Amino acid sequence: MSTAIDRQVETFQEQFKRAKEEVSKIIVGYEEIIDGVLMSLLANGHVLLEGVPGLGKTKLVSTMSDVMHLRFSRIQFTPDLMPADITGTNVVQENAMGEKFLEFQHGPIFSNIVLADEVNRATPKTQSALLEAMEEKSVTVGKQTYRLDSPFFVLATQNPLEMEGTYPLPEAQLDRFFMKLKVGYPTVESLHTILNRTTKVQEPAVGRVLEQSEILEMRKTVRAVPIARPVQDYAIRITLATHPKAPYAYPLTMKYVRYGSSPRGAQALVIGGKIRALLSSRLHVSCEDVRSVALGALRHRILLNFEGEAERVDTDTIIREILEKTPEAS
Amino acid sequence: MPMSDREIIIRSLERVERRIRANRLFCELSFGLSLFLAIPVALKLWDLVSPFTARGISFLIAIWLVAFAAYAGRRMVRKGRLADAATSIDKQAGLYDEFKTAYWFIDNPRSSEWVDAVIRRAAADAQRLDLDRLYPKVFPRTSYIAAVMILAFVALNFVPLPWNHNWLNLEAAPALILTEREQSLLDQAKDLMAQAELMQQSDLAQQVEQIMKQLQEGKISPSQALQQLQNIRNMLEEGNLDMGSINDGLEEIAKDLQQSEDLKEAGQAMLEKQLWQAAEEMRKLAEQMGLNTPDDMRQIQDSLQQASENSRPGLEQLAKDLKDAAEDLRSQDREGAQQSLENAAKELESLAQKMAGQNLKNQASQRLQSLEESLRQRQQKGRDGQQQDFDDEAQRDAQEGEELEDQDGPGRSTSATGKAQQGQPAQQPGQPGTAEQANNDGSGQMPSGNPNAPMNIHGAPTKLDVQLEQETLTGMHEQGTKPEAIEEASKQERSKLDYRNVRSELSPAQKDLLNQDRIPWEYRPLIKQYFQAIRPASKQEK
Repeated sequence: MSTAIDRQVETFQEQFKRAKEEVSKIIVGYEEIIDGVLMSLLANGHVLLEGVPGLGKTKLVSTMSDVMHLRFSRIQFTPDLMPADITGTNVVQENAMGEKFLEFQHGPIFSNIVLADEVNRATPKTQSALLEAMEEKSVTVGKQTYRLDSPFFVLATQNPLEMEGTYPLPEAQLDRFFMKLKVGYPTVESLHTILNRTTKVQEPAVGRVLEQSEILEMRKTVRAVPIARPVQDYAIRITLATHPKAPYAYPLTMKYVRYGSSPRGAQALVIGGKIRALLSSRLHVSCEDVRSVALGALRHRILLNFEGEAERVDTDTIIREILEKTPEAS
Repeated sequence: MPMSDREIIIRSLERVERRIRANRLFCELSFGLSLFLAIPVALKLWDLVSPFTARGISFLIAIWLVAFAAYAGRRMVRKGRLADAATSIDKQAGLYDEFKTAYWFIDNPRSSEWVDAVIRRAAADAQRLDLDRLYPKVFPRTSYIAAVMILAFVALNFVPLPWNHNWLNLEAAPALILTEREQSLLDQAKDLMAQAELMQQSDLAQQVEQIMKQLQEGKISPSQALQQLQNIRNMLEEGNLDMGSINDGLEEIAKDLQQSEDLKEAGQAMLEKQLWQAAEEMRKLAEQMGLNTPDDMRQIQDSLQQASENSRPGLEQLAKDLKDAAEDLRSQDREGAQQSLENAAKELESLAQKMAGQNLKNQASQRLQSLEESLRQRQQKGRDGQQQDFDDEAQRDAQEGEELEDQDGPGRSTSATGKAQQGQPAQQPGQPGTAEQANNDGSGQMPSGNPNAPMNIHGAPTKLDVQLEQETLTGMHEQGTKPEAIEEASKQERSKLDYRNVRSELSPAQKDLLNQDRIPWEYRPLIKQYFQAIRPASKQEK
């Protein structure tokens, strides 16, 4: 017997699948990245994509905007980029009577999907302007506050190799990203597909398959998914296990971690778990769902200590140990 | 009435919990049982080497049962939670926390369509799932180990060894195993007492048998058994006749009777302690009373009168009967005299019976004393924990018992014959003995069948079981056999047997007193010097 909720879930899955398929027409070999980006969008969060140049990060974001019926803007972060270049500024205008007045010129941030390309190349001041907008979903210029349109979704990219002359994002600002996704090198099979699609006369085109209202409805559906206390408890224990002083801490955490995840990490685990549950046709969140989003949700929220930095410890290793050792509650 | 979704889930979880608990219990109990069964198997193996008594087995098995019951009880009390069952079923059926979530929301109700949908879906899955397939009854490997242990235990009980005791048939080693020598002593004492009882209507033999049975079963301690055997011996010795005085009195009476020609044979029989024959002679005299001349009658009267004056303790009635007969003869009351002589004959027979009975009782008492002595020694050794010595001793005693049995064999056969006579005295003077009795070597177990053999009223003579060993002297072959060499060789003969079996008339208390030797030999001079030093000055001068 099909109920309204079942239909709601089916619709969610169908819309998600449709969007993913459209993106996959252009982006090849990054199933998980596409999933993560879409999940972040549906979770009302933002994504930090990390990967070397040329892997299609920017292409992914532009394709996402093409697939969704949303306004898209791209900001190339450079050291001389000013906050006003992002948020917009008041400019002097003259009316028909010749009177001059100040008028706010909206910056590129006033879009639904914002690509902040190479976000670590801008100065901290400029980065802060973006990150404040990400959190507050509003921009204040002068004495005036301007609300950003919903959905507001920032996809920031950064290059982990060329660190010279860059300004790494501070931890507090990293925490504002729902997920940090690592874009790896595509496989041979994927490269074949990429070359086949991009070196011909006709490049594949994508259509807009997801409306703004649908995205907002999907967000509501995500929030409605119930989670039992034992599963939530599991997410909390995973989050707490990232803290070296916590009773749940494991050896790697105690050795290499200076600060663990904030409560935003637990939120990301739960919301990400809810989306995963819906995608698996389940009406409840399981511990497996929480585990599946843990890497993306926590890797940028763990701050390594000197020893961890010196030994170039990957936070994914620490999270994997936590996932392996944290028992499920019953 | 159809069940609600919540009821379906709860029922399923309860069922799963029961099955998980049953499987867990089975696993834990079979594991525990296999471990616990190692104990009785080990005990049974030990029992084959050193048998346990019934009390020991009962104690160990009781401890084992209590420990296992405590273990099993503790395991059984542990009840699982439905939340755990939900987690388990999720894992088993790959339901990704569906039951866990549903049960949590059943426990913590919330008004939400989504929650209702979760519960509804879980209930549908609960009906769809084959819980018996998901949770089959498990036979853990440890159950096979437990079965093997049980089989081993049963098999050990049926090992065909003479010293194996089948615990399953409630058999156990007796608390005390009598050595062959002790068993021989006991049997002899029982036989002797049974014969004495036939004459005196008592049940001491049964009492002794009862005591030994209780001792062997461990119902009474060795010290209690010793005390009871001592009581039996005291009872045996109660009312003993003064045999020396009676013998002396009989001898004097006999001599007096021999002064008359008609009473000469009766007197001779009395002198030879053949009292049954003497009684017969008395009866003959009474029957022939009318045929005697007046002079003979006077002579008889005088002899009887003189004999009646030898009254001693135990012979009062005989003296009175003889005196009555003399007076009847004096008053020419022939019938009265005949009656008095008949009474005297009966008294003689009674006396013979009493003496024979006492002889048997004395011998039984001696056997009991030997038995007591043996048990006391074993008790002492048991206290010292010298179990090995005990076994060696039992072995030696068995050998000695065989020898003792060989020596006592004829006496015991006579006893058996006496027993078969159902109430008759074992032997009567003047009656021909059986072939076995004729072969009696006079070791004193019973009065001999030989009418001329004196009655051994002091029991069997004490013999030393000494077996001498010839030792070779150096130089004998070169120098030839000289008288000195033979004498030297004789001096150097050594006994291969110890002297423990030499019977002593001393009571255990007396022996203990005599054998007290707690002062080490090397300290004795020092102690002597000490006491000499502290002597008063006046005595020192002396």
